[in-house]
Amino acid sequence: MTSKKRILIVDDEQDILTYLSALLEDNGYETFQAKDGEEALRQVEAALPDLITLDISMPEKSGIKFYREMKANDRWKQIPIIIVTGISEEFKKFISSRHQVPPPEGYLSKPINREEILQFVKKLTSSYC
Amino acid sequence: MELNYKQFFEVIPAYLTILDRDLRIIEANQRFRKDFGEFAGRFCYQINRHRSERCEQCPAERTFRDGLRHGIEEQFKNLSGQEVSLIVYTTPIRNAAGEITAVMKMATDITEIKLLQNQLRESQERYHQLFEEVPCYITIQDRDLNIIEANRRFREDFGGVLGSKCYQVYMHRSEECVPCAVKQTFQDGQVHQVEEVVTARDGEQVNVLVSTTPIRHAEGLIKSVMEMSTNITQIRQLQSQLTSLGLVISSISHGIKGLLTSLDGGIYLVNSGLEKNNTERFKQGWQMVERNIGRIRTMVLDLLYYAKDREPDLEWIPAVAVAEEVCGIMRGKAREYGIELQCDFDQAAGNFQADAKAIRSLLINLVENALDACRVDRKKSTHLIRIELKGDPECVGFEVWDNGIGMDQETRERAFSLFFSSKAGDGTGLGLFISNKIAQAHGGWIHLESELNRGTRVTVKLPRIRHVLKPISFKPL
Repeated sequence: MTSKKRILIVDDEQDILTYLSALLEDNGYETFQAKDGEEALRQVEAALPDLITLDISMPEKSGIKFYREMKANDRWKQIPIIIVTGISEEFKKFISSRHQVPPPEGYLSKPINREEILQFVKKLTSSYC
Repeated sequence: MELNYKQFFEVIPAYLTILDRDLRIIEANQRFRKDFGEFAGRFCYQINRHRSERCEQCPAERTFRDGLRHGIEEQFKNLSGQEVSLIVYTTPIRNAAGEITAVMKMATDITEIKLLQNQLRESQERYHQLFEEVPCYITIQDRDLNIIEANRRFREDFGGVLGSKCYQVYMHRSEECVPCAVKQTFQDGQVHQVEEVVTARDGEQVNVLVSTTPIRHAEGLIKSVMEMSTNITQIRQLQSQLTSLGLVISSISHGIKGLLTSLDGGIYLVNSGLEKNNTERFKQGWQMVERNIGRIRTMVLDLLYYAKDREPDLEWIPAVAVAEEVCGIMRGKAREYGIELQCDFDQAAGNFQADAKAIRSLLINLVENALDACRVDRKKSTHLIRIELKGDPECVGFEVWDNGIGMDQETRERAFSLFFSSKAGDGTGLGLFISNKIAQAHGGWIHLESELNRGTRVTVKLPRIRHVLKPISFKPL
């Protein structure tokens, strides 16, 4: 019996946290949540996730800063991250201006297509680990 | 020899006559006889002026009296009754004893010259009238950018400023603009155009489209430059409203993406709750749908707020709560930039009538500006932003102070203008304009004090009950 893949959902919107948690848990994943980049880092430290879905615009520590720290950390940089955001320009600007930061493993625009996110998650969690 | 003089007298291209002491014409040349007829026994004023009495100003009489040469401009009537403009010189003719026996009067026809002079004067008057009345600002400047001429509209809006430097009057600054269109025209002789925001003497900000043209000497060298500025403030205001609407729509479309995701999540929970017969999940999903429909409603109202001059949605709100909310929102960002954020709120500031969302936007905008001003300042090792709240019986006052980069006079004066931003590509030029609009919609005002490299203090004064406030004087930073 294989253990469930653990997914960290990072978004400042409680409704979206609830939605993605329900959707992913219904499809056999274990989820835990963070409302900003700071909390997300603590969650990663406490329970290494198999995948992260990340919003960009958040208070306290933004998704961009969290992403940069994740990719700069040798222990965590292999964890696949799917960007799930309504803002495309901000993140694309960030990526193109900092060539040393690798691109995210997945990128999804809100509103989310359920089939698409499930396919992404399935693909990335089976290739990682 | 006498014959030669007589021949010369006859053919000279002017009217020549010899007068005796009674002003009787005793000799006249061919040209005079041709245009004024026979003269025998007649007086000069009869023939020249068609009058029976002597003229009041008679140069011949004066020459008889003082023996000197005299000149005068006169109008004669020729045989056909046509007025002829003449310049008349009188010269004494003396006998061997030196006594004046006659006066020679030489009159040169200057009718054509007078006609051209009149045409030139009329033309100059027309150009002057055009210069004065044209509905734009016109100045003429020398190489040192001194205003040497200005039209009526310019004088009315910018004052009697002849001799002042262009940049002092237009920009209220002590240094030349870079680049300067007038200087460019002096250098290359070409027409240059530039758009500027200038400040009238009453402090009003005016968007102008400036065009410079060289004025040359007859030899072709540029002696001065004419600067014409058309007031395009209304066009810019209209553009600003459209741009503002565009930015808000862009921002709202981003928000709608999030709302659609939440609505989709609510629908998912409702459907999966029904499928699994999970009432709790069904309820949770339905609440999500209801909540997000409410948020869409609010968002649409926000759109209307910016799309037109909507009256603020007034309610009695506690000033401390708004200030604390803004402080809470901005504290994380300040920490991210390593900037200390101090909050000093008068807990007894009380309630005031306001549109809570609009006031929150206003204050966030001011604090974001303060953060930017600190973030780009490399001259200080530590940065501080202080948000203060004070209350008095009639008003509540918010103050946002920072020790960031500060502003020079030009930036200060243009800070509330449409499309003006000192943040290069990072600013839209709308933030302070909208903040000011929100304060005014509440019957209040915003006052800005700033000094380059020292910092900025922005004060917002809002009446507890909405009515228009008059600005008061402020103590220095």
